[in-house]
Amino acid sequence: MVKQMRKHETRVITGNACAAYAVRLCRPDVVALYPITPQSEVVEQLTRFKADGLLDAEMIEVEGENSAMNSVTAACVAGGRVFTATASYGLAFMYDAMMQTAGFRAPVVMVNVNREIPGIHAVSAGQQDLISVRDIGWLQIIVEDDQEIIDTIIQAYRLAEDYEIQLPVMINYDGYYLSFSAEAVKIPLIEDVDEYLSILKKQPQRLKLVPGKSMGAGSHGLLQTYTELRYKHMAAMERAKAKFDAIDKEYGDFFGRYYGGQIEEYRTDGAEIILVTSGSATGTAKTVIDAARENGQKVGLVKIRMYRPFPRERLTKVLQGRKAIGVLDRSVGFGWNCGPMYQEVRALTPEIGKVPLLSFIDGLANMDITKPNIERMIRDIQAAAEGKPYQETTWVSLEE
Amino acid sequence: MVEKVKKLPRVFDYFVEKDQFAGGNTFCAGCTAELTLRTIPRVMGKDIVMVGTPCCAAPVLHGQNLGAWHKLAYYACVMTGVASSASGLSRYYRKSGIDTTIVCFTGDGDASDVGFQPLSGAAERNEHMVYICYDNEGYMNTGNQRSSSTPIYAATSTTPVGKNQKGKPTVAKYLPLIMALHPVSYVATATLSHMEDYAKKLLKAKEKSKHGFAYIHVFSPCVIGFRINSDAGIQVCRMAVRTNYFPLWEMEDGVFRFTHTVSDPRPVKEYLSICGKFSHLNEAEIAEVQKMVDERYSILKALVETTARKETENKL
Repeated sequence: MVKQMRKHETRVITGNACAAYAVRLCRPDVVALYPITPQSEVVEQLTRFKADGLLDAEMIEVEGENSAMNSVTAACVAGGRVFTATASYGLAFMYDAMMQTAGFRAPVVMVNVNREIPGIHAVSAGQQDLISVRDIGWLQIIVEDDQEIIDTIIQAYRLAEDYEIQLPVMINYDGYYLSFSAEAVKIPLIEDVDEYLSILKKQPQRLKLVPGKSMGAGSHGLLQTYTELRYKHMAAMERAKAKFDAIDKEYGDFFGRYYGGQIEEYRTDGAEIILVTSGSATGTAKTVIDAARENGQKVGLVKIRMYRPFPRERLTKVLQGRKAIGVLDRSVGFGWNCGPMYQEVRALTPEIGKVPLLSFIDGLANMDITKPNIERMIRDIQAAAEGKPYQETTWVSLEE
Repeated sequence: MVEKVKKLPRVFDYFVEKDQFAGGNTFCAGCTAELTLRTIPRVMGKDIVMVGTPCCAAPVLHGQNLGAWHKLAYYACVMTGVASSASGLSRYYRKSGIDTTIVCFTGDGDASDVGFQPLSGAAERNEHMVYICYDNEGYMNTGNQRSSSTPIYAATSTTPVGKNQKGKPTVAKYLPLIMALHPVSYVATATLSHMEDYAKKLLKAKEKSKHGFAYIHVFSPCVIGFRINSDAGIQVCRMAVRTNYFPLWEMEDGVFRFTHTVSDPRPVKEYLSICGKFSHLNEAEIAEVQKMVDERYSILKALVETTARKETENKL
C-alpha cells in the first residue's frame, strides 16, 4: 500500500538551521544554549524562534557547556523534554555532566557538530570529539546530510524517550561540511511531528522527580545495586539497536524517508569489496561507488548511522563473505595505529571471517575527503581483495 | 504539682514542619552543618527540592542505593553542576506550573571553587532558587583540604604547618560579598549561634526565590577541621560573630544591613585561640588577621551606610 505523502515545507537552509528547525518541531520544554563554532547558528536560530513566538521553551542561556548539560539533565529528570547543542571543546567541557546524564538514564537529546578536539588548536571538522565520548553510555548517531539532520533529530526524541530505552541521544554531523552548507530540505509540519511523537504518550511514563515526594535522583549506587544499574543500562543500549531499525521503518512509513536504521547498505548486493563510512564523506563516497559500479567493479558501501550501540549484528550480516573491507575514519585510534571505527570493524573478524581489512584515516582538520581520495581507497581495497600485499593503515592525505 | 513548661527558643516559632531527617545519621558528632541542614525544611516546609553534590552532607542527602536519611525530594549531581542543575529544575517546574522552592545545599568548596562558575551564572540569570552554602572553610568531607574559603594561616591537610610554611598563605575569598555584587535580590550571612536570625533569612530567601535568586552563606565550623571539641561548634559560631570575624548581614534589593550589631567587638585573637587550626599563629600573624577582619567589616559598614542613605533618599 502506498502511503499518502505528508505535506512539508521546502526550504534551502544550512545544517545548523536544520537542527534548530527540527528541535522546534519536537516542542522541547527546556533548551540550554551556549555558543561554539561551528554550532552557534543552532542556538541563535532557536533563540530567534523563541523571540518570534514560534518556540514555547524555557531558554537557559548558560555560562558554559558544563552547565548546559547539567541544566538539561536536571530538567529532563524532572520530566521535561530537553535539548542542547555543542561541539568539540564544548563536548569535552561537559564530560562529567554527560556521564551523569547517561547514568541517570535521562533521555536528553543533543546535537554535536563534529569538530577537531583540543591539543592542536583546530577550528575545523573532524570526528575525534564523538570518539572521545564513545564509552560513557550515550546513544550516538552520525548523519550524512542536512535532510538527515532534521529526520534524525525527530527520530532521536522518539528513541531516547521510548519507555524501553530511556537513554540520552547524541546526533553528530560534520562541522563546516554540513553545519554551514545549505541544501534544499523538506521540513515536516509540526502537527505531523506531534502525531508521530504522540506514540510516546501512550507508553508508561518514566519516573520523574516530584517536589514534596520522598524521592531522589543520584543516590550512591553501592556494590550490587551499581552493578545491576550498569547491567540494565547496557541491556537498554542493546535494545536500542532493533528499536532504532523499527523507528526508521515507522518514520519512513509516516514521512516517506528511510535511512536504513543502524546502518545504510548502499549497492552492497553482489559487492565483493566494501567501504565503510560515516558522516558527510558518505555522499562523496556514494558518487565514487556509482561510477565504479558503472565500470563493472563489484563495490558497495556501508554507512554507519548508529555508532553507539555499535551495530555488530547488522554489520556482521552485511560484511560476511566479502573479499576485502576498508573503513574510513575521520579520527585516529591512539594505541592501535588505525582508525577507531576500523578497530571496531576489525573486532568483528571472528564473525565475518579473515579477509583483508584496511584502515583509511582522512579528512582531519578540514582536509577534504575528495573523490580521488576515495577512488584511491577503493583501488587499495580491490588490490587487497586480489591477494596483493597491502598496508593496514593509510593516512590518505599524507600519501603521494 | 504544677509542671514547669520549658520555654522553647524563639527559633521554634519559625518551624512549620517536623524534622525531615533521621536521627543517628552519618554526620559527625557535633557537626554544625547538620543543624544548618535540618533547619531548612523545618522553616521552608517539605515541598522543596534540594539539590546537592558530593560534600559532607552527601552521605545523608544522596542516600545509598534505595535508602536515604531524609524524606525530601532530592537531586544529586556532579560538583560542577549544582546551580546549573537547579536552574534546569526551576525552569521546568515553572514552565509546568508546579509550585516549589529549589534549594541548593553545598559546602564552601563547591560554592567558592569548582561550582563557582555555575553559581555565578545562575545568579546573573537571576534563576528562581535559594542557594545555601554551609561554610566549614575547606574540603572537610575529603579530609580537611584547603578551599578558597579557607582563611589565611589556617592549617589544613594541604596547607600544613611546617618549617617552610605556616598554614594557608593567602586570604579567603569572601563569597557572600561576591554574591551580593551579582544582580540578585537577596544575599545573607548566617550562623548557628543565632538561630532566629538564620530562620528569618531562610523565610526571606524562600519568598525572594519566587522571583529570583537568593543566597545564604552559613558559617558552619567543622569540629574535625577546626580542631575543636565536638561540643564546641556553637561556641565557635558565637565567637566568630562577637569578634566580627563573621558579621551577620543581609542585602535585600540592593540595600545592605547588619542583622546583628556587635556593640563592643572582641579581639579576633579570642576567636582564633579557641580553634586548633590557628594554634600556631604568633602575635604578628594574629594582628594581620585582625587587620583583615577590620577591613572586611569596614567595607560592609560602608555598604550598609551608603545603601541605607540611598534607600532613605529614594523614599523621600
